[in-house]
Amino acid sequence: MIKTGNIKGCLAGKILRIDLSNKKIWTEETKSYAEKTLGGRGINSLIMINEIEPRVKWYDRENLLCFGVGALVGTMAPGACRVDISTINVFSGGKGSANVGGFWGPELKYAGFDNLIIVGKSKKPVYLYINDDKVEIRDADFIWGKNTFETEDILRQEIGDDNIKIALIGPAGENRVRGSAIMIDTAKAAAGSGVGCVMGDKRLKAIVVRGHKKIEVAEPERFMKIVSKCYQKCKNNPNKEAWRKSPLNFYADPEWKEWTTSIVVRNGQDDYWEKEKRIELMNPKTGIPSMGKKIRACYCCPIGCMPFMKIDNGKYKGTQGEGLWVNAIWGHACRFDISNPQAIVKAWLLTNELGLDGDYVAAGLSWVFELYEKGIITKKDTDGLELDWGNSEALIKMIKKLAYREGIGDLLADGMVEAAKKIGRNSGYYLIQVKGQPSIESFRVPKGWALAVSTSPIAGRHLRGATFGSDDCGPKPRPGKFNVTDYQNQASGVVWQGKTKEIEDNLGICSYVGTWFGANFLDIEDFVELINTGMGLNLTEEELMDYYAVIGRNLEKAFNALHTNMSREDDLPPKRFREEEVKSGPYKGFKIDENRYNEMLDEFYELWGWDKKTGMQTKTSLEKLGMKDIAKKLLKKDKLVI
Amino acid sequence: MRIIRNSNLCYACKTCQLACSFHHTKTFWPERSSITVSRNPQDGTIKWRMNATCDKCIDEEEPLCVKYCMYGALQISDKNADKQEVKDND
Repeated sequence: MIKTGNIKGCLAGKILRIDLSNKKIWTEETKSYAEKTLGGRGINSLIMINEIEPRVKWYDRENLLCFGVGALVGTMAPGACRVDISTINVFSGGKGSANVGGFWGPELKYAGFDNLIIVGKSKKPVYLYINDDKVEIRDADFIWGKNTFETEDILRQEIGDDNIKIALIGPAGENRVRGSAIMIDTAKAAAGSGVGCVMGDKRLKAIVVRGHKKIEVAEPERFMKIVSKCYQKCKNNPNKEAWRKSPLNFYADPEWKEWTTSIVVRNGQDDYWEKEKRIELMNPKTGIPSMGKKIRACYCCPIGCMPFMKIDNGKYKGTQGEGLWVNAIWGHACRFDISNPQAIVKAWLLTNELGLDGDYVAAGLSWVFELYEKGIITKKDTDGLELDWGNSEALIKMIKKLAYREGIGDLLADGMVEAAKKIGRNSGYYLIQVKGQPSIESFRVPKGWALAVSTSPIAGRHLRGATFGSDDCGPKPRPGKFNVTDYQNQASGVVWQGKTKEIEDNLGICSYVGTWFGANFLDIEDFVELINTGMGLNLTEEELMDYYAVIGRNLEKAFNALHTNMSREDDLPPKRFREEEVKSGPYKGFKIDENRYNEMLDEFYELWGWDKKTGMQTKTSLEKLGMKDIAKKLLKKDKLVI
Repeated sequence: MRIIRNSNLCYACKTCQLACSFHHTKTFWPERSSITVSRNPQDGTIKWRMNATCDKCIDEEEPLCVKYCMYGALQISDKNADKQEVKDND
């Protein structure tokens, strides 16, 4: 194991522990955990693997709901605001994790806590009130049943402090809809893995935080010099203006290259969407961009990418709220063949209001639309709704049904894989899911993307290493331009992007400000300087990339191995994309070639230090990381290659 | 010298609040800042206030809030300041 030395700054210092069953509250020191993993998700993963027995399911009282604020959050490191929320994944039974920005994480650190670990279940609805050292479990009857916007309003009035920050769930989480999110500032969703479902299962409606303390760094003057350099770097980056308009605005150009490489249409029937529909949806004057009234930034963010939306005309006139993401285009629009921009904004903001995961909504419900088209389900099953492609009203009604478990929504709320088993008739084939979690991602065209999503330890999702080639991103020196549709050269880019994400999540730096997707505002060398002057360590880039990045991924992979029966087969893209070709557009005829994909997968396993044949972890690589105890546990379960 | 804020350019990232606290304390301590920023995510409005403890960062090259505002919302007033649209609280 790397000797980090004594951490002298950046941490709030304590981990707050709460047992909702016994109403017990206690704290412990953060330091020993941070020495192993720096902070954030790393600490959550360490606590989960040490404390959750493999027999425990997501709905058991022993399951932990872990909030981990990154090590640099609370300082002025650019983009340092992120929180990891980890728990047992309600879809895969393995590691679950969702990551979110905003203002809640910094506030928790100013209250004195780096992580918040919740065990047990309350009998009655409760919310947590954390005001520095004053921590209370309070009755939440008065907000139970309220949507996320109402809950935020009522709690603000009740507490009477403008500066509180709230993490909360909506009706979806309360109703244990599997794809539920935990919402921060009503707009930013920690959405994947069903973290909101677990919070609802614990009968925990909200976590209100107010902090008045300070965060100290090891060498204040030197740290600020690095901070200053980093802000200048962001300011001078030529990508800044484009990213600041919100990344979804790239799609305002109907010729934008990713219209043909990143989308899935009609639940996977095609990967090409006609140009006239793109123009209708994203017309700068009448489409989605025209409804983005201003941009709001997360805490200490030099980029600023979150649009505040308002619908000015039509049926949904007056609807407004913060947040709209590229996922709305990929999911709510393309997957349902809906090009009505007002309806897409409405559907997205409704997803926030009800506390749902947008990807679960889009991937799950577009599957139901296809079942309707194929006659596997009929109007009798949908309570009379005509789930035809392009029917935005039906989508909006279905979102409500899902959150409130009304009619067919009740069946779908327990997870689409479970629903497919009940529906039968080969319906499961059409469900696009990775390790049990519905997925909106593109697989057939961008091969690195397909590899990253399929191998993600948290059941799909692209932030664990997805890359569209390496001409703009990847390790330095960059491998140069190559086609995103090739199988060659992809694995190294995916592993590099996966490693940098590990570091970003431990530090709490938004990957948009970091290494994500060719933005390259900050890089590994900046992270090292911020850590060394802020935390008082003496790390090298190699130590950061070869130890801290690698241990994080291995902790999650080991958790999966101990808690599930996942195998190499589970790291393959959804079956449909291995069998059916893209039907139109420039990539007509594309599908996943299993042999070529498996070659890519072999290289990916080798680069992470895992066994090529089985994908399992090896004794040598785990011992090198100081994970001897975990290696022993894996060996006992025959999940380790010696 | 006056520090002025153009509300139309503010993204409510609170970097100014934190930078100010560093000037006063050499730590990151929003409670000890001369600036307070709060925002309402539901209607998008921002409340920005500066209190009397502001010393215009007398020992710095320029006020830290201005230096670290990446959106150009905070500026030092010059002779044309009166002509600019300035809203401190919106």
